[in-house]
Amino acid sequence: MKIIESPELDAFRDECRAWLADNVPREKRPPEGPAMRDFDLAWQKRQYEGGWAGVSWPKDYGGRGLSVLEQLVWHEEYARAGAPPSGSMFVALSHAGPTLIVSGSKAQKARHLPTILRGEENWCQGFSEPGAGSDLAALKTRAVIDGDHLVVNGTKIWTSYGHLATWQELLVRTDPDLPRHKGISWVICDMRTPGIDIRPIKAMSGLTHFCQVFYDDVRIPLANVVGEVNGGWRVAMTTLGFERGTGTIAHQIELSNTVDRLIAAARDLPAADGRGRVIDDGAVVADLATLRAEVLALRSLTAASVSRGMREEVPGAEGNIVALWFGELSRRVHAAALDLLGPRGLERGGDHDWPLHYLEAYKWAIGGGTSEIRRNAIGERVLGLPKGPSAR
Amino acid sequence: MIVDLHPTEDQRMIEESVRAFLADRLPVERLREPAHQGGAAEAAAWAELTALGLFGLGLDEARGGLGLGLAEEALVARALGLHLVSPSVVAQMIAPHLAPDDALRAALVAGETRAAFANRIGEAGGHLIDGAGASHAVLLAGGVALIGIDALGSPEPVDAIDETVRIARMLAAFPAAPRDAASDRALLLLAAYLTGIAQATRDMAVAYAITREQFGQPIGAFQAIKHMAADMATRAAAAEAQCFHAAVTFGRGLDDGIEAAAAALLAETAALANAGANIQIHGGMGFTAECDAHLYLKRAHLLASLAGGRRLHQRRLLGTAS
Ligand SMILES: Cc1cc2nc3c(=O)[nH]c(=O)nc-3n(C[C@H](O)[C@H](O)[C@H](O)COP(=O)(O)OP(=O)(O)OC[C@H]3O[C@@H](n4cnc5c(N)ncnc54)[C@H](O)[C@@H]3O)c2cc1C
Repeated sequence: MKIIESPELDAFRDECRAWLADNVPREKRPPEGPAMRDFDLAWQKRQYEGGWAGVSWPKDYGGRGLSVLEQLVWHEEYARAGAPPSGSMFVALSHAGPTLIVSGSKAQKARHLPTILRGEENWCQGFSEPGAGSDLAALKTRAVIDGDHLVVNGTKIWTSYGHLATWQELLVRTDPDLPRHKGISWVICDMRTPGIDIRPIKAMSGLTHFCQVFYDDVRIPLANVVGEVNGGWRVAMTTLGFERGTGTIAHQIELSNTVDRLIAAARDLPAADGRGRVIDDGAVVADLATLRAEVLALRSLTAASVSRGMREEVPGAEGNIVALWFGELSRRVHAAALDLLGPRGLERGGDHDWPLHYLEAYKWAIGGGTSEIRRNAIGERVLGLPKGPSAR
Repeated sequence: MIVDLHPTEDQRMIEESVRAFLADRLPVERLREPAHQGGAAEAAAWAELTALGLFGLGLDEARGGLGLGLAEEALVARALGLHLVSPSVVAQMIAPHLAPDDALRAALVAGETRAAFANRIGEAGGHLIDGAGASHAVLLAGGVALIGIDALGSPEPVDAIDETVRIARMLAAFPAAPRDAASDRALLLLAAYLTGIAQATRDMAVAYAITREQFGQPIGAFQAIKHMAADMATRAAAAEAQCFHAAVTFGRGLDDGIEAAAAALLAETAALANAGANIQIHGGMGFTAECDAHLYLKRAHLLASLAGGRRLHQRRLLGTAS
């Protein structure tokens, strides 16, 4: 345990800060649809032109080839500057790109990494199916080899930004006779291929960010398989691990700001009975203080996770701990907001749409692995308890 | 500033040597024997504890210490919590930092002069904890101060929740001490001790869940148990990360008071909740005085109280504490 610092890192941080101060978009990010996607791509392009895309990605493919330390500094400054979420670029930057770097062929890397960094193309993740969510290995979308192509039939669901993406990391069953985990392949799918049909799905918050994708004889070149045919499970597990990396720093800072905002509101607002302020209630102090401590712990857990990440190539199961903490804490923070703010907190719109944030917060304990599945993984893979039917 | 929470090679060595020593000389089972309670086993191992360098660990070399930092002290305090070592050993680690002169400081570092914790109860007196052999008290009263035990009046033994420590009631009016950097350092060591309890109870519960069988399988295969264990691990990890983050960054521009209060709040919660869950996972055995599970619960309550209690940490976190 130590503080890592050097004049070079300080200089790098100053550089990040100065560039972000001048370049973070001032205009409001559109909440959904093609306008949002175009905004995300334009912002990525701006970062690329400024020399800030792929700080730790290999130089050969358009990255800067710096260490995880610089990457971390960049993420911290990015979040502090209030820069936009990666949004519809998230899968490309945090899943697909890193997976290709680890498991892709030279040709695949050369084709895709630069277009991601330049903000020319974005990606979505086609893993879950109606019958395969937590139990991902139950996936049925079938791919049959026909010459130098795969022919895909089936459906994927909950595909975030699937209706707005150019490429997809797609998991298909290439051999139904092999054991479940062995007959799966990880494929690069062009979302413009004939036979793909997309149905957007509206979430309870009112936003439409994900969709169901249908594949009807979709032909994908065999050259688009990443890793071995039937070796996709291992490739996919690498991808899932990357979800729990430095990408969460922005969420963590946002959650911390939300708690600060709530504390400020509790100091300002008159109590429900008109006597004194909301904060004069000891129970309110207890709730808010606990949330503040838990948000600080989220920062510390993230630091611990990043510290581990500096030493391991592929993230381990411990990442589930910080993800579980974050998923549960986000819900509690936003529930506390509605509770504290009273009837005015239920109003939609305004300069901070509390119900929107509250409703959206439910996703963190579901998407990418539910809290229950994460507890299974912590129990089995971190603590070594006997295996049950699942744990990703 | 990038905070690396991975232990360095040196830190790992310090921690391992302390843990190995404690596992050998002060295993938790010792507390089943009244003769080893109340700091007696620690007194018997005092020369070795001193030789391990525990009491000058975080003190500058110029002041007679080893020149290490708060992070190393916190690692040791956590190891002490794992083995339910007498709180007086933690008091002895804190005391040299508070000593007003070189002679007293040197005597404390050398273990010749001994200290124990005292805490204030309202306006009227307080408790002295495992005070046998101690001439000085590390007084936890708002802030922290080192005072002569004589000043506290004559001790009256009382029975308290944790029968493995000896508690005496002192009736003199305890002076209040200001909250400052020294008291936040002390608070962090108490929090680290509590994370040790959270960790030990997690490990004890997991070990039992792997071996105990019902319905033809290890109880750890049941999700109700597995998820309880996962929550224990998560609480312990959060408390620990916060403690060590606060220790490493201490004096480096963060709000140390808030960071320490957060560590103490999370550590108290993790220690108490994990100690309770450990009892639950042990079933009927967990409810007995023959199983060590209760020892952790009782010590967790004592340490949580020494650290000031959750209400105080909460008020500090919001800046509403006096
Ligand atoms: C906002 C959002 C975005 C998403 N984006 C994507 C995406 O881009 N790409 C993609 O592929 N997927 C995506 N997902 C899908 C996500 O990964 C799945 O929703 C998730 O894995 C759960 O699967 P499920 O919905 O089928 O629920 P189920 O697996 O049916 O779970 C239902 C309930 O049963 C519980 N459960 C299931 N199995 C167990 C078990 N073994 N032990 C204990 N409890 C169990 C679950 O915890 C849950 O409470 C997204 C989901 C959300 C909410």
